[in-house]
Amino acid sequence: MQRRLIFKGLGASAVALPGLAACGTGGGGDVELSDEPVTIRMTWWGADTRAELTDQAIAAFQKEHPNITVKGEFKDWAGYWDALATTTAANDSPDVIQMDELYLASYGDRGTLLDLADTSDFLDTSGFEAATLETGKIDGTQYAIPIGAGMLASVVNADLFAQYGVELPDDTTWTWDDYAAIANELTEKSGGVINGTGLTGGTDAGSIRYWARLHGNELYGENGDVTLDPAVLAALWEYSLALIESGGAETAAETVEGQSAGLEGSSIATGKIAMTIAYNTQITPLLAASGADLRLIQLPGAVETTANFIKPSMYWAVSSQSEHPAEAATLIDFLVNHEAAADILGTERGIPANPAMREHVATDLDEGEQLAVDYLESATVGPAVVVTPNGGSGFDPTCQRYSQEVLFGERTPQDAAEAFIEELKTEIDAAA
Amino acid sequence: MSATSELHNLGQGGARAKRQNKTAFLFLLPWFLGLFVITIGPMLASLILSFTDYNLLQPAEFNGLENFSRMLGDERLHQSLGVTFTYVFVSVPVQLGLALGLAIVLDRGVRGLAFYRSMFYLPSLLGASVAIAVLWRMVFGADGLFNDGLALFGIEGRGWISEPETALGTLITLNVWTFGSPMVIFLAGLRQIPRMYYEAASVDGASRWRQFLSVTLPLLTPIIFFNLVLQIIHAFQSFTQAFIVSGGTGGPADSTLFYTLYLYQRGFGNFDMGYASALAWLLLLIVGAFTAINFWASKYWVFYND
Repeated sequence: MQRRLIFKGLGASAVALPGLAACGTGGGGDVELSDEPVTIRMTWWGADTRAELTDQAIAAFQKEHPNITVKGEFKDWAGYWDALATTTAANDSPDVIQMDELYLASYGDRGTLLDLADTSDFLDTSGFEAATLETGKIDGTQYAIPIGAGMLASVVNADLFAQYGVELPDDTTWTWDDYAAIANELTEKSGGVINGTGLTGGTDAGSIRYWARLHGNELYGENGDVTLDPAVLAALWEYSLALIESGGAETAAETVEGQSAGLEGSSIATGKIAMTIAYNTQITPLLAASGADLRLIQLPGAVETTANFIKPSMYWAVSSQSEHPAEAATLIDFLVNHEAAADILGTERGIPANPAMREHVATDLDEGEQLAVDYLESATVGPAVVVTPNGGSGFDPTCQRYSQEVLFGERTPQDAAEAFIEELKTEIDAAA
Repeated sequence: MSATSELHNLGQGGARAKRQNKTAFLFLLPWFLGLFVITIGPMLASLILSFTDYNLLQPAEFNGLENFSRMLGDERLHQSLGVTFTYVFVSVPVQLGLALGLAIVLDRGVRGLAFYRSMFYLPSLLGASVAIAVLWRMVFGADGLFNDGLALFGIEGRGWISEPETALGTLITLNVWTFGSPMVIFLAGLRQIPRMYYEAASVDGASRWRQFLSVTLPLLTPIIFFNLVLQIIHAFQSFTQAFIVSGGTGGPADSTLFYTLYLYQRGFGNFDMGYASALAWLLLLIVGAFTAINFWASKYWVFYND
């Protein structure tokens, strides 16, 4: 790996671009496997479970390809994107990158990801459904291969419900009002030892999208414009405030601590709350961390409108800076198309997007995976989502900041919602 | 250079001086390389970038003074300036006061001075580290050690780092806690003051307090000045603590949004490196201005005994 000095960063991107253009038009003629031993780097975000499984998958890959050494690097979500931006700017980005829907356009539009058509000799996408592949395209170019999908779900801790004698909710009928009533009941019956729920959203794109779709609204229009209605977002925050006020939800301070504690340290994992909202695939680490009887049930309000959605969350992508695109593509091919990898990785990164792998893993699921798959099969899905536009990657941190101002009473929900949407629009306009 | 070449050089006047300079530069080369490659190079690059729109991933485009005019209307920048100034002007005086006080106590010849000195110095070595910031988060968290301590006295704690009113206070405390390095410098300074001044003063019947005011303090002003300049510059550049304690957000609700943290967010979080570079230069100007004011003001209160 040839490292370039950081101070060259200014010129680095200018140097990289002509190379990129060559890749785009040349059609991968020069992409081939090396005869020499090659080391490639692969990076992902995620919890400990993911790291263990991925390391095992890497070991299996290296056994099949003794020429290729894969160095895995992983970080938590927040640090991951800082590091990726920094290493990319320094022209030192890892070869294989786990990409998220939030950032796909930001990186793809700026030419830092390889057009996977160039590596089609090594990475076979024929097993995927066209609609699935579509979620990895920006303006018709395949920059990323979807790994899997997730869906928002309600997580309930059945142990805590039993302990405090509260009936489990009936998710075929429940509404947000029911949710609030149950949360309050849990707090009350536990004598304040636990809270019924954590914050039910309003700090991230996923939960706000669900809430907006319940109200006939959407985050982005087809052309990538922000269409979120401030009044809708304000209503979600008002709901949260009321729930904190009544004691059903954790206090604002507890919420903030939970936000920076990671999945394993979150309140649902440590048994401080009995209900929350999470992606179905997060159930595996949550089960491992909590050791409790956690279950996935439908989101409140799901009966009224089909507002839930498949989140085409994770992708594999190859850096356009990679000096070994063929090897990088071979690794991705192994991860998404080979049963040996599927056996190890299971559904930890989501229910596999490759139908053959989905079928394969369905025969041998552990408890958490089974819950995640069952949930996906039972949930009703609304229309597909629009990929986050370039410049929209700051949605979550920006939203978290405004929501904190609301929760600590520094701003009214309506005022904060308007300011937030204004800021989001400015960022997206600036990036376009 | 060997001794023979030194001999050879003897009596060759200008040529010798030249050669010696060359040798000196050769030995300084590693330092110069570091200076130019790691410091001056990136600084010049960032100066150029501050006049551009640069998203890290594509070539920069010049946009004149746009980055600087944008600062005027940037509310988060103003918030971060407020946070940083509060941090600097509260934590530095308290820290230096504590350092001076303890240095004077230790200078009285406490038994086991070396031990105490090391113990008090230890936090300075650790204070800016990630580990301590993580520790801080645990100590001042809602379930943290600090609240456990308060509970012993029947006081109900709060989430010190997760509430906007107190979050910055915990970071100021963290900085104050690293008083060890100015303390060690104060200790050295105290040792420099000739004992005879004190003897003369006590012969004249001056009290201990009088001696402190009229002997110790004036003679210590150069050291105080040195520490003040250093700690102010240091505090303006604080980053790690706020980054770790708030998880990189500057939260809750931007209450710990240090200037450098905001700069970092713009540059790496929002792909806004042109603006971030301009922010870096503004910080340089601010720190430069405070240092200049410090030096100017020093004429009126710093006493050099020479």
